[in-house]
Parts: sequence; structure tokens; C-alpha cells
Amino acid sequence: MSAALQCSNVTVSPAGTPVLRGLSLSVPAGSRTVLVGPSGAGKTTLLRAIAGLAALDDGEISIAGRSLHGVAAHRRRIAVVFQEPRLLPHLTVVDNVALGLRAAGVRRAERRRLASDRLAEVGLGGFLDRRVPGLSGGEQQRVALARALCAEPDLLLLDEPLASLDPNRREDLRRLIIRLQSERALTTLIVTHDRAEAAELGDSVALMLEGRIVQHDDPQTLFERPASAAVARFFGASNIVRGLVREGRLMVADAEIPAAGPDGHASFAIRPEYVLVAGDGALRGTVVEAIYAGTHVRLTIACGSQRLQADVRTGSAPGAGEDVRVDLPCEHLWRLPDSGSVSARG
Amino acid sequence: MAERRLQRAAAVLLAGAFALPLAAIVVRAFADAWRAPAIVPQQLGLRGIREALSGATLEALTNSLVVAGVVTAIALVIGWPAARVLGERRLRRPAPVFLLLALPLLVPSYATGEGLTEWFLRIGLIDSLPGLVLAHLVLVLPYVILVLIAAFGPPLTALEEMGRSQGLGTLSRFRLVTMPAVRPTLAAAAFLGFLVSWSEYGSSLAVGGGRPMLPVVLLPFVRSDPQVASAISLLFLAPAIGALLIASRASRSPL
Repeated sequence: MSAALQCSNVTVSPAGTPVLRGLSLSVPAGSRTVLVGPSGAGKTTLLRAIAGLAALDDGEISIAGRSLHGVAAHRRRIAVVFQEPRLLPHLTVVDNVALGLRAAGVRRAERRRLASDRLAEVGLGGFLDRRVPGLSGGEQQRVALARALCAEPDLLLLDEPLASLDPNRREDLRRLIIRLQSERALTTLIVTHDRAEAAELGDSVALMLEGRIVQHDDPQTLFERPASAAVARFFGASNIVRGLVREGRLMVADAEIPAAGPDGHASFAIRPEYVLVAGDGALRGTVVEAIYAGTHVRLTIACGSQRLQADVRTGSAPGAGEDVRVDLPCEHLWRLPDSGSVSARG
Repeated sequence: MAERRLQRAAAVLLAGAFALPLAAIVVRAFADAWRAPAIVPQQLGLRGIREALSGATLEALTNSLVVAGVVTAIALVIGWPAARVLGERRLRRPAPVFLLLALPLLVPSYATGEGLTEWFLRIGLIDSLPGLVLAHLVLVLPYVILVLIAAFGPPLTALEEMGRSQGLGTLSRFRLVTMPAVRPTLAAAAFLGFLVSWSEYGSSLAVGGGRPMLPVVLLPFVRSDPQVASAISLLFLAPAIGALLIASRASRSPL
């Protein structure tokens, strides 16, 4: 029953000023695509536009090749799990889940059976006749998920489904979402602002910046082969090294290190966890800041005018003010494509 | 501890301030003979109630009930969309609208009524039921709208959006999502609207001179026959208590 979603050249201006500017995105049938980006990028606006809750100024959204233009929200067969559970407090849990069935005229016994099946799937089998106000936040979110599945939609939209949960419950709900989605091969678009969550939830990830998709790839590509410095920065490859490449060597901060690609000026991205702080490193630098982050220590190192961040093990971390030698391993130094030749599946 | 006791004392005092005059009216209404300086009536009886339920008073009771009921119903229907627009802050400049809404509350209702009388005379609405309904509507509508505003806003919109994404069309969305959420506020607005119309004196006198309304009929008795006045007051109270009971039951069902 699942279908592909296609957004072409979508422009939406909810309060007069455009939030989405000619956005294009394709979500293949049966995929679990994550839309990630900083807050204010327009992710929720896109979700609302797809669901029919925000009007398009321009462009087209289609499902399985059929345009949704002029199709009312309640006829789109698109289920939304909003950031807040949005349950009806005057109804029991099972009646909340069966809301869509009730409106569709399904008999009482039948909709109770269907809704209790969905509740069992989200691990709330015994919650049928409970009232909403007594449920925890996580339980309410599961009820909302069961309600969305109960409608048997062609497309499922999830807006920050894990945002309001503590870390342990997040993990449970993350597994649950992935299991329910893959069992049904249900086309699913998930919005999050958290890059780690994006990688964990999505089989493909689209990064949205300022109302546009800037790169759409599998998670590993986004983390390790970003299409631009902005993409690199969002996914935590916070070190951007610019310099002149000549005969396979990059000139940076009075040192020469091996680097790939043709001769000329180039920018390279390297993730902090790949930066080596070791006695035989090619670059000399001074630690200007050392922050203990629980699982590692994040160092900020000044190498001449170049600032580098390095994540090192907590046991052996140098302190602020210490002189260190730094190495940027060639295999982790990703040469950013020249701007203008940015590739995106968007 | 001391604070709690003080609060309780204040509550009892307040309840007494409401209950004592009420008790006095109840006793007065059933006192067929009560000559000074006796503290309790010499003879109890139903003369007051009989008088209150006869002739012009009974007609006034029916008139007041009909007008209050019709006015409340119309005010809820007209007030709903207005309250929705104001509650969802869809107006760029709501201040003038609020001022207009408050205007009938600021001007004495007899003055509003006199103003309407001038026009009602010309268009033949004077002394008629529609005329009374219109005159009361002017005063009831602001109360109803101002109370009803509380029902609308982002929480309701969020639920309605959920309803849309769950495949609920306009009608089932209204029945299953909007109405249950608005009901308690609607009950409160209806209660207030009914009471404003029920106890309206000024415009009833000005517009409905020929048609007796309960507050208009009550007043002359206050001087001439305190027992009948008290009995009418009890009648006056009955629908108010009834409306209060219905409203409190409706608003007790969660959201």
C-alpha cells in the first residue's frame, strides 16, 4: 500500500515570508527518510505542507505520481505523529486510536479489535480503557503512533518523535519506529534536529538548511563525505582546513601533509574524532581549550592561524596551554567538492 | 494551621453573606402574616406563591424564559465564529473590536434600550418578542463572546489538525474533536448569557413596555407587597439555579 512521495520546487510562506524556497525532495516508496536540519530550517513547515495543513505558494507535492494539489488534508491518507501527542482527553486510549475508524463509520466491535491490535504493537496492550490524562509522555507518544498506524496511511510523517523523551526511552521508541516501519514497508518521513538521531533512524537522510535540501544521501555519506562545508559543519565534521595542494601534499600551518586530489586551492573536512594528537604529528600547535565531555575530551588546538578540534580519550588528554603535535590522517581528510559542483539526490 | 482556620472563617462569612438574605426572602415569601416586632412570622402560607403564579406575573415568567432562551441560543451561534477569530488571534488589531464588544457593557442598559426604542418604534419592533430578543442580544452577545474566546486558540487548533490528518471531515471533526473540547466553555457562556438576559431590567422596560418581563413586574411589588415580591424573587432564582446546575455538570466532563 506504500507509495513514493515527491516534492518539486515547493515554496511555502506560512506568515508572509517564505520558509520553504523551491524545495525538492523525493522519498522512495517503502523508505525511511529523515529530514534533518537546525531549528528554523523549515522542516515542520514541509511536513505540514505535505500533510495538507499548510498551503503551497508554488511547486507540487505528489504521492505515487498523483498530485495532491487541491486534495483536502483529511483525504490525503497521510498520517502525522506530531511533536506533542495531541490525544483527545475526553476519550479512552482505545477510542483515541480508533478515532479515524469511528469517523469512517467502522462498527464499534471491529474498530476496537483493530485499535487494540495497534496498541499491542506499540506495547500498550493493556491500556485499552485507560484514560489519557494518567499516561506518561512516552506512553502518550506511543498511543499517537498507534493512532497513526490504525489509519493504514500511504505515508507516515513523524515530527521529532523522540525529542521529548529521556535517553533510555528514546532508544526503545527508536527501535519500535524502525520495526513498525520495516514490517509494513511504510513510506516514512521523519523530522529531527539531531544528527545522531537522523543517522540512527533513517536509511536515507536529507539535510535541510534555510528552506532547501542541500544534500540527500545515506547517513554515512553525509557524515564522512559531506558535499559542502555547511553540510560538514552540521554533521560534526567541524574542522575545515583550507590550503594549497601540490603533487599530493597539502600546505597547512607551516607544515606539509599528504592529501588527495588535483593541484590547486582546496578545502578539506575532517571529523574531530579522526584528528590525532601524537608525538610524531606534522603540525605543531597549542591547546587553547580542553572540555571534558564524558566519553572523550574535546580539545581546541591552535596551529598557527588554523584552529582544529580533536576528540581524544579521557585518560591521556593534554590540558589547556600545552604544546602538542597534531596529525591529520590522509584517509580521513575529505576533500570538499568545489562549490558549484555540489551533488544532491534531492 | 492558623491560616487555614482564617480561610475557613472567611469562607463561612462569605457564604453567610449570600445565604442570609436568601433565607430572609424564603421566610418572607411564605409569611402570610408577619407583623412587627415579631422575629418569626405569625402565620405561614402560600398566598405569595399563588399571587406570583397568577395573571401578569405568570405571563412575565414565560416571556422572560422564552426571551432568555432564544437570546442565549442566538448569541451562541453568532458568538461562536466571532470568538474563534478573536481567540485564534487572527485579527491584526483586535483592540477596536474588544472596545466595540465592551461598549454595551459600559453604557447603562436603559440608555441602550432607549436608543433602540427610537428605531424599533419606526420599524415596528416595539413591544414585540423579536424586539425584546434583539435588545437583549445587544447586551448578551458581548458576555457570550468574551467568555467563549477562552475555548479557542492553539490547543484546540492542534487537536483539529490532528483530526484532519486522521481523515476526519468537517462534520465528524466538529462532532468528535471541536465540540467536546469547547463544551465546558460553551456551557459557561450559555449560563452567563441566560442570566444576563433573565435579569435584564433597563432595556426590557424601554423596549418591551407592553410585554411584561419578570424583572419589570417584580419591582412594583417590592414597595406594595413584600411577600409577593419575595415569592417572585424565588421564581426569579429558580432558572438561575437550574442553569447553574446544568452548566456545572456540563463543565465537569473533562475538556
